[in-house]
Amino acid sequence: MSSKITFSIGGVHPDDAKLARACATEVLPLPEVVYVSMAQHLGAPAKPVVSVGDYVKAGQVIAEPGGFISAFVHSPVSGTVKSIAPRKDLAGNSVTHVEIAVEGDEWAEGIDLSDTLVTEIPEDRQFILDRVKNNGVVGLGGATFPAHVKLNPAPGSKAECLILNGAECEPYLTSDYRIMVERPKEIVIGAAIMQKVLGGCRCVIGIEENKPEAIKSMSEAVASLGYPDIRVQVLKKRYPQGGEKQLIDAVMHRQVGSGALPISVGAVVQNVATSLAVYEAVQKNKPLVTNTLTITGDCLPVEKMHNYLFRIGMPLSYIAEVAGGVPQDAAKIISGGPMMGRAISNLDACTVKGSSSLLYLSESRTRRKSASACIRCGRCSDACPMGLEPFLLNRLYKAGDVEGLEQASAQDCIECGCCLYSCPAYIPLLDYVRQAKGMALGAIRARAAAAKAAAEAAKAAAPTPAPAEAAKNNEKISK
Amino acid sequence: MGTMIVSPNPHIHAPVSTKSLMRDVVIALLPAVIVSILFYGWSELLVLGVSVASCVLLEWAITKWLLKKPSTIGDLSAVVTGLLLAMNLPCTTPWWIVFIGAVVAIGVAKMTFGGIGQNVFNPAITGRVFLLISFPQQMTDWTVPGGFIKGVDAVSGSTLLGQAKLGQLIDFNALDTFFLNIGGSAGEISALALLLGFGYLLVRRVVKIWVPLSIFATVAVISGIFHAIDPVAFTGPLFNLLTGGMILGACFMATDYVTSPMSTWGGVIYGIGIGLIVMMIRYFGAYPEGMSFAILLMNMVVPLLNRWFHQRKYGRA
Repeated sequence: MSSKITFSIGGVHPDDAKLARACATEVLPLPEVVYVSMAQHLGAPAKPVVSVGDYVKAGQVIAEPGGFISAFVHSPVSGTVKSIAPRKDLAGNSVTHVEIAVEGDEWAEGIDLSDTLVTEIPEDRQFILDRVKNNGVVGLGGATFPAHVKLNPAPGSKAECLILNGAECEPYLTSDYRIMVERPKEIVIGAAIMQKVLGGCRCVIGIEENKPEAIKSMSEAVASLGYPDIRVQVLKKRYPQGGEKQLIDAVMHRQVGSGALPISVGAVVQNVATSLAVYEAVQKNKPLVTNTLTITGDCLPVEKMHNYLFRIGMPLSYIAEVAGGVPQDAAKIISGGPMMGRAISNLDACTVKGSSSLLYLSESRTRRKSASACIRCGRCSDACPMGLEPFLLNRLYKAGDVEGLEQASAQDCIECGCCLYSCPAYIPLLDYVRQAKGMALGAIRARAAAAKAAAEAAKAAAPTPAPAEAAKNNEKISK
Repeated sequence: MGTMIVSPNPHIHAPVSTKSLMRDVVIALLPAVIVSILFYGWSELLVLGVSVASCVLLEWAITKWLLKKPSTIGDLSAVVTGLLLAMNLPCTTPWWIVFIGAVVAIGVAKMTFGGIGQNVFNPAITGRVFLLISFPQQMTDWTVPGGFIKGVDAVSGSTLLGQAKLGQLIDFNALDTFFLNIGGSAGEISALALLLGFGYLLVRRVVKIWVPLSIFATVAVISGIFHAIDPVAFTGPLFNLLTGGMILGACFMATDYVTSPMSTWGGVIYGIGIGLIVMMIRYFGAYPEGMSFAILLMNMVVPLLNRWFHQRKYGRA
């Protein structure tokens, strides 16, 4: 274990409030009905392949990828499909959900549900990729990017380092911490599988210093399993350490260029929970239908906090009820961490693969104060981990200066919230910068589209046959 | 489930506000304020009281009756301006002159530009310079009235910088001056007290060290060179660092958020500029001290420095 490291630009130090750290993971009982979203990954929504009235088993495919960047969705329970209809997700957007009435808990064939640890890593790279893809594994660190796409870099790019993200830099959240303490070996095997599929790169497991038990258990797992080239790296506590770009900077001292993918600097970053999902998918042939979620907050007594192993499709209201109800003085319920999570407007929404918490914050903790004048203290730009100047972006945005925004790199914003978090005048900087980012990205995309159209027009004029396949891999996805 | 808040992220905020920052600056100024009250007595208390009260009242009156906007006195920035203005004045300054200083500081330098965050020039320094030009006699009267504690040797008449300007510097002891420097404004009384306060600001991360550091370094280098060339005509680095408004100016006035650059390198250039100008005034100008002028002049360059210097961006060489 070498000395502690961290990223080089910006960052803030919120109170980590890992109040639920001591709560061992409990398995949530099944509800009577689940609603499985077709859009629980980045990219195109999945297409349902079941019909109303069908009997499905847990782990059975109920929807297929709707595009190149998309993922399979499996039934989290056994039961009868009741409806396939639009339903509001936690942000209030209408998304197709498959409603399944739960009957028993029967799993599809070929899934190993035992606790036996499978340490031998499959030799066949394609077999691993197929398992990851067919079991619907997506990144569980927040972006829910389909894992098989990330694990299969375009020809010509080479992964040098797999970074396993165990930073869990968001305050309050403890789900990654719990799995690192409780299931370290499975996570490490998952990492070794990903190393294999990436062509034998090294692997660094980054964990923040405020999780000594996780550092210990993960280090022991690494040592006892004896896979080559995996090590645990202790990180200083600093938000947003778990941001992909920040973690690459911390671990590899490299920075990903604007608009580029981590693989361009030889990095692949996966969350520890994703690694666990990869283990289950590859070694156990178990689809991603479960994940861990923390019930916590500043207005919840510690004895009512939980870390739950949930199944996707469970209504949040059901989980809240099982946990003892929404606390009286909760003013905001958040899915995700307090820095980047989403405020829930609809507790009837259901868990998805990437769900990580039900966070109850009190009025005093979360209510925004009214903004006063900017005092030009520069704290926002000191805090920005991308080295941007939020005060300037705010001004350019209000002036509608798209060109200026692009020059000031508004498109690089990762929406981590450090600017607004640290603004002494309580100016809603991120609200504006997010809009500004949209404007800058819009301009960049419009230009790219125009250039592409021009190139195609030129190509159409010339009678040479064009190779179509190469362009496919160049598809850029940015969050 | 009652009414829920659904504003976008982040959902928590750092325990910091404009008011908390200004309160920290007030706390940081307290050691020097207390020392000056102890040694300069009631007259110092009067100057401080009139200055702070006028600044706060003026800001309140202007927001209420002229701008017709919500009052901003709650952010304590007017208190800071009042304290800094008073600490730049001789304790013998008549109350009405102090009041005029407050009118210029708050009324002209701050509120005319739109209030906090909008002003180009440091309000307290603008007020002080206005008074220096308008009331040169009262503003350079450094007689020391009796304080609550008797000064070690209650010299009066001129400051150390004033003596140096006239070539009459008799005795300068760096260590004595560092602890207690009787004969000057409240802001010159004790380098130690000011540095203690500045240390507090650094620990609380209210200000960063780059601006004061580059000012001190520039002053030390320039006076070092000149002093080495001619030790009789030019005072040395220690003398220049410890006398006059150097420490108050560098640590508390040049670091004013609103009127200093936002980037680190901008701040360094700004500090070097202040150091250069103050030494040129001290050595070659008509006034014995030039800290106020140096800061005001560099205030004008800040918009340019903000345009030229930016923070280092991620992933962009």
